[in-house]
Amino acid sequence: MINVFMQHWQELLLGFGNTLLCSVIALFFSLVIGSAFAIFEVLPYKVLHIVGRVYIEVFRNIPLLVIGMFFYVVVPQFFVTLDGFTAGTIGLTLYTSAFIAETVRAGIQAVDDGQMEGARANGMTFMQAMWHIILPQAFRYVIPPLGNQFINLVKNSSVLAFVAGFDLMYQGDAIASTTFDTFNTYIVVGILYLIITLPLSYYMRYLEKKLA
Amino acid sequence: MRKLKPILILLGMLLLTLSLGACSNEKSTQQNALKRSQASNTLTWGVKADTRLFGLMDIKSGTIKGFDIDMGKEITKRVLGKKGHAKFVQVTSKTRIPLLKNGNIDAIIATMTITPDREKIVDFSNVYFAAGQSLLVKRGSSIKNVRDLNKDGMTVLAVKGSTSAVNVKKYAPKAKVLELEDYAQAFTALKSGQGDAMTTDNGILFGVASENPAYHVVGGTFTNEPYGIAVDKNQTQLKNKIDKALADMRKDGTYQRLLQKWFGNVAGFDLKEASQQ
Amino acid sequence: MIAPKEEKEMAMIEFKNVEKYYDKFHALKNINLKVDKGEVVVVIGPSGSGKSTLIRTINGLEDFTEGQLLVNDYDLADSKTDLNQIRKDVGMVFQHFNLYDNKTVLENIMLAPKLVLKRDPKENKELAMRLLKSVGVADKAESYPRQLSGGQKQRVAIARSLAMKPKALLFDEPTSALDPEMIDDVLNVMKKIATEGMTMVVVTHEMGFAREVADRVIFIDNGEILEDEKADVFFKAPKEKRAQQFLSKIIKH
Repeated sequence: MINVFMQHWQELLLGFGNTLLCSVIALFFSLVIGSAFAIFEVLPYKVLHIVGRVYIEVFRNIPLLVIGMFFYVVVPQFFVTLDGFTAGTIGLTLYTSAFIAETVRAGIQAVDDGQMEGARANGMTFMQAMWHIILPQAFRYVIPPLGNQFINLVKNSSVLAFVAGFDLMYQGDAIASTTFDTFNTYIVVGILYLIITLPLSYYMRYLEKKLA
Repeated sequence: MRKLKPILILLGMLLLTLSLGACSNEKSTQQNALKRSQASNTLTWGVKADTRLFGLMDIKSGTIKGFDIDMGKEITKRVLGKKGHAKFVQVTSKTRIPLLKNGNIDAIIATMTITPDREKIVDFSNVYFAAGQSLLVKRGSSIKNVRDLNKDGMTVLAVKGSTSAVNVKKYAPKAKVLELEDYAQAFTALKSGQGDAMTTDNGILFGVASENPAYHVVGGTFTNEPYGIAVDKNQTQLKNKIDKALADMRKDGTYQRLLQKWFGNVAGFDLKEASQQ
Repeated sequence: MIAPKEEKEMAMIEFKNVEKYYDKFHALKNINLKVDKGEVVVVIGPSGSGKSTLIRTINGLEDFTEGQLLVNDYDLADSKTDLNQIRKDVGMVFQHFNLYDNKTVLENIMLAPKLVLKRDPKENKELAMRLLKSVGVADKAESYPRQLSGGQKQRVAIARSLAMKPKALLFDEPTSALDPEMIDDVLNVMKKIATEGMTMVVVTHEMGFAREVADRVIFIDNGEILEDEKADVFFKAPKEKRAQQFLSKIIKH
């Protein structure tokens, strides 16, 4: 195990960095996009409901691998060539955002109607009320499920391995297939994933306690 | 520090379970593969299912077909007797060695090149197909051979766990190598413009080109890739039986017949070269 | 022609033949009601009579089906009317307070003036503190709503409405969710606001408050205004039978 790491630390570190980078980018954008679609779903406009519904159902119900491959091999045939890292990160962002939208929507709906009414009666616009009053409370409710989504996101970033995105899993595959030491390689890879997910998991729990 | 403790315990437990799993694996592979297959009258082969001409899943019948499959069937009969049963398990370049090591399969006949590195962990039969690495490009491409690839900005597509990925880094160190899951994905990536050329053994590339006339094999072979049948270390009895079967097949013409069946009609393919020992 | 114009300028809120349906349920029936500037109008009626619906149409929290409603010269029947403009000038105090749970008391009061009126931060804070003092919860400025009693919450909610410097205030059963010992604190604050000349529409069961502060009493039942009378006249002798019954029940309690 130590040997695998000592001999291949450069590749592993590159993979670790790419996995971390992909996760951070996807986390940020999936949170933004997911929240936007969650708001679509609580707005009183039918068209936006349908748009939101279609988006969520499409990206939630197609395997991540298919979405990733779509951006890697299909999109380039019609629009623009995306490298594996970009294609995989876009796929991961869209896929995760659909789940986050559902989670955040549930959070928004869990906030008492009186909060919105109070804010509107106070002269605020819908978006002002959403931003300052509803979303902060909604996020407090959904921190535990959101934490799960974030951890899934980090793990799902291994989709990059399938589109040559040079992430941790890709490097692990490459090392395992040249050294044939699959056993130790994947243990090292697993531990490197834990280095990202465990602190994330603890941080979300800390946040939950702090805001409760 | 107090918060670290549960993490450490967790990691410890994880390692313990994994090492226990490793121990039990050891045992299963120490069994005699030949005796085991004789007892069940079944030889289990790891084969490719994504590689035209060698092992390709026929979607209609749900069976895998190709040169490797026919070879496997023939060898099984010669090892276990006329009624011996050949079972085929789908593997990839990445999974075939672990599966063999775990005892999930008895032997690998899956376009596998004999290399010194691999010989450290598995035993190979004699050569049953003399392949060489080559390049597949779109017709009209400026790339004529592997030297043309050795430039900054060139991207080569290969398959994970294959020798071709390692080789091309040697022959065209300036090119970027992207490793994909299997040949189908590597070729799809080539079609999508994710790379300038796809590289692997000529036999496989000819198989792809025969279905996709817009692409062709260029530059001849730039490596020798002798394919062998792999068995786990210390399965000498099984290996000897396989070698004997191979020699017999070459002698009685069965081998040439199978080679002709699969590669006889492939334009530009050199049957003589492939049958070298 | 001069006289009617002056009269119109006097009206802060004016319902003209307003009808409202929830699907088939006729919630408001031919409402005609005028509230002049500086007037305090108390709306009473049995539960489900439509008094909440009535008051909530005034700031557009409920829409209506037919008729005309003018609030501070804005026409609510016109879809182009910006409800936020009306809400800037017409504050509302709710039965369940509706304080922002994620904000401190001070932030509750300062948020809307900051976002909507773009009030200078220093001025905003000074006014907020002054209002908190006047409703008697200045010591809770840094607390969160969940740390307050019901009576304190409602006084903060009133201060929050006042911070917008409204021209009129709507109260939707402001004391119904309070423990009895807290009711007077809230009513006293409301009385003080009334004496300062605020236009107020108050839905309440507090007959003592109505008798003391109200200029007029509206009795509503089944979505219909049955009485619209000066407070002293109404309490002496309600004309309508249903109003008499209602009053006798309320007073017994």
